[in-house]
Amino acid sequence: MKNKLMHLSNETMNVGFVKKVEALSGSSVRRCFQCGKCSAGCPMSAFMEHPPNRIVRLLQLGQGQRVLAGRSIWYCASCETCTTRCPNKVDLAAIMDALRKLSWDADGPSKESYVQLANRLFIENIRTYGRQYELRLGAAFNMKSGQFLKDLMLGPKLISKGKLKMFHSKNKNIGEIEAIFKRIEEMRKKGEAL
Amino acid sequence: MSRIGVFVCHCGENISRTVDVEQVASAAGEIPGVAYACDYKYMCSDPGQNLLKKAVAEHKLDGVVVAACSPRMHEKTFRKAASAAGLNPYLCDMANIREHCSWVHEDKKLATAKASDIVKLMVERVKKGKSLAPITVPVTKRALVIGGGIAGIQAALDIADAGHQVVLVEREPSIGGHMAQLSETFPTLDCSQCIMTPKMVDVANHPNITLHTYSEIEKVEGYIGNFQVTLKHKARSVDESKCTGCGICMTKCPKKKIPNEFDQGHGLRTAIYVPFPQAVPNTPVIDRENCTMFQSGKCGVCAKVCGPGAVDYQQEDRFSVEAVGAVVVATGFKLYSIDRKPEGSPIQGYGEFGYGAIPDVIDGMTFERLASASGPTGGKILRPSDGKEPKQVVFIQCVGSRAREKGISYCSKVCCMYTAKHTMLYHHKVHDGQAYVFFMDARTPGKGYDEFWRRAVEEEEAVYIRGMVSRLYQKGEKIVVMGSDIQVGVQVEIEADLVVLATAVQAQDGADLLAQKLGISYDKYNFYSEAHAKLKPVECATAGIYLAGACQGPKDIPDTVSQASAAAAKVMTLFSKDQLERDPVVAKVNEKYCVGCLACKKVCPYGAVEEKEIRDRQGNLVKVVAYVNPGVCGGCGTCQATCPSKSVELDGYTDEQIMAMIESL
Repeated sequence: MKNKLMHLSNETMNVGFVKKVEALSGSSVRRCFQCGKCSAGCPMSAFMEHPPNRIVRLLQLGQGQRVLAGRSIWYCASCETCTTRCPNKVDLAAIMDALRKLSWDADGPSKESYVQLANRLFIENIRTYGRQYELRLGAAFNMKSGQFLKDLMLGPKLISKGKLKMFHSKNKNIGEIEAIFKRIEEMRKKGEAL
Repeated sequence: MSRIGVFVCHCGENISRTVDVEQVASAAGEIPGVAYACDYKYMCSDPGQNLLKKAVAEHKLDGVVVAACSPRMHEKTFRKAASAAGLNPYLCDMANIREHCSWVHEDKKLATAKASDIVKLMVERVKKGKSLAPITVPVTKRALVIGGGIAGIQAALDIADAGHQVVLVEREPSIGGHMAQLSETFPTLDCSQCIMTPKMVDVANHPNITLHTYSEIEKVEGYIGNFQVTLKHKARSVDESKCTGCGICMTKCPKKKIPNEFDQGHGLRTAIYVPFPQAVPNTPVIDRENCTMFQSGKCGVCAKVCGPGAVDYQQEDRFSVEAVGAVVVATGFKLYSIDRKPEGSPIQGYGEFGYGAIPDVIDGMTFERLASASGPTGGKILRPSDGKEPKQVVFIQCVGSRAREKGISYCSKVCCMYTAKHTMLYHHKVHDGQAYVFFMDARTPGKGYDEFWRRAVEEEEAVYIRGMVSRLYQKGEKIVVMGSDIQVGVQVEIEADLVVLATAVQAQDGADLLAQKLGISYDKYNFYSEAHAKLKPVECATAGIYLAGACQGPKDIPDTVSQASAAAAKVMTLFSKDQLERDPVVAKVNEKYCVGCLACKKVCPYGAVEEKEIRDRQGNLVKVVAYVNPGVCGGCGTCQATCPSKSVELDGYTDEQIMAMIESL
């Protein structure tokens, strides 16, 4: 996919997707003039098949599907170095957020990516317990990803050092946390949040 | 016995680092005829010059040698100082011990010896030198401007407004040049015609401007302040004094389908025509190659319908001679053609773009005409092949420019900006269309320029793709453009309806021939050379000739207008004096010994040597000798070296001086 010939026309350029990214992120995509400073400073750049500047470039060409097809957006650590240093006021960290949201909604890319799965389980845990319950997170991830034995041998070590609790302890203000989730869902419905 | 003063400069450390200046000064003091010698850290500074002035008075010096930098740098400075001290300035000379010695040597001992030798030479030259007085030349306060584009128009108006007479010569039937063809201009998008045509009218109405259109330069003689220029007025076949510009001849002319050059061949005109409706002058011209009357002798419709009887089929080319004091050259540019070129031509066409054979692949100027309200489509963007509105337009920059293999290595400077403008014009006119631009770099230095380009990208939705187009080809109604986006690292393919090439800016056809007539230099691309790239950007090396606009190199309108006004200012400076003073370093003929072989005339690069008849009192011819016109002589000394009877000598460089210099070593 990465090096496939790109046909450009009004039909192949998905301008609607780019407009969505711009609306969600509140940042212009067209502003970028491809200086490469974001990629130069990105700590995760080396792991991405499309470094940050190329993600923006692909969006400029209306190639959202190429961006979502890759895993680059999930490698982003949201450190915001790119946004801080951009000479042209492109909020790349926000664009990355928007892309992850759109990818999530489209149930897109990350069938092949465990990143999305891990994120989803992480959030579910928070909602259920009001705090993280690592043992369940690890177990659920291994079950759902089909890698049943992954990192299994780390378990006893972590338990012995007290890093991994055998039993969960619910947050006593779980109702307030549920209210936060509810509020976000409301805002999403109205289009006020990602 | 002479009393020469020698002043050795350290030039900070520039000279003293490799030359023992104290030793040079003390050695100079030993030369017979040297009355005073000293050294100083900065001889060109105020205290340094005072040192020289004081020494001239105290030691009653009758000649001065300053051992310092190149005479190109400070000869004027020291001659002025010598003159202020009461010495003839031409008895002050420079011994160049910087560029010719300290800068190019490392061994201090040898360099010091060489510096002493250089000083010795110059002392001998000054000893045999003569007092000279500057030559004065009268100035004809009338200027010639060649080329009636925006550069020529601006220069002519500025000079004329200063109260001097101007002769403006234009090769085409109307003034206006390329700017009259443009639709809108960057970075403000104001209509080109709206700002151009009033200036054209100003030229026509100005009491100080004599306009000659459809005319060319035939011959140029003379020198600064005193040029005689022969103009060739091509036969217009219409009497300008009788024609009222009513235009009935054009409406009645039966030959109506000639491609109009003004519209880049995309509009049509008649055989008797004005290039465009706003032409100045509004006098038609008959294109004899396409006129039935001239080709077969039958027709004569225009003559029949012309009320004032202005049509004149018998008119012939006529010549006139204009006396002017200064010349502004403003002949402009042409656009590179991607067509196949004959073998041997240094400039090659573009096979990968179909050698210009695909009708919907056009150049930037054609796009200007398509976008112009006065153009062949009335300002609608329609493609040439089938008149349809193109929905996908691809612009390709740097076609011809920056392509050494194609014969041109320079950047054409204006294309980045006009292509950005084109994408905007297109976006304004075709709302559902998409413009793509293939580019290598966006070069947009200039006030408001980068912002303009970014506006095209950010607000006017042009898709800029960094990377060049490999090739394009016709596929049905579409043109397939194969390029790459080097930022993503993928190949890109676009099926375009119209392709616009930003072709290179080149020197005007015949620019080299005109330069030869004027005696000015030009580069390998036929662009005219300025005297100094930074400090004399509008002067030619040939005195009295100035440059304006794209004939010197690719230039946009603001730069062109600036340069035109600068050239006009130079002309006004020249005209502010009644007499010109110039260096008296010119050749003089000893008429007693001259045998009139005129070998000097043959070798003189300035055309300064004339024949002079010597007659006795009864008027009988005694002999013919050579005469050097001091106004024209450039002081190169070629005649002196050539003369078999040693009867021509250059003042300041006489044989006696040169021999004395050689003998001193």
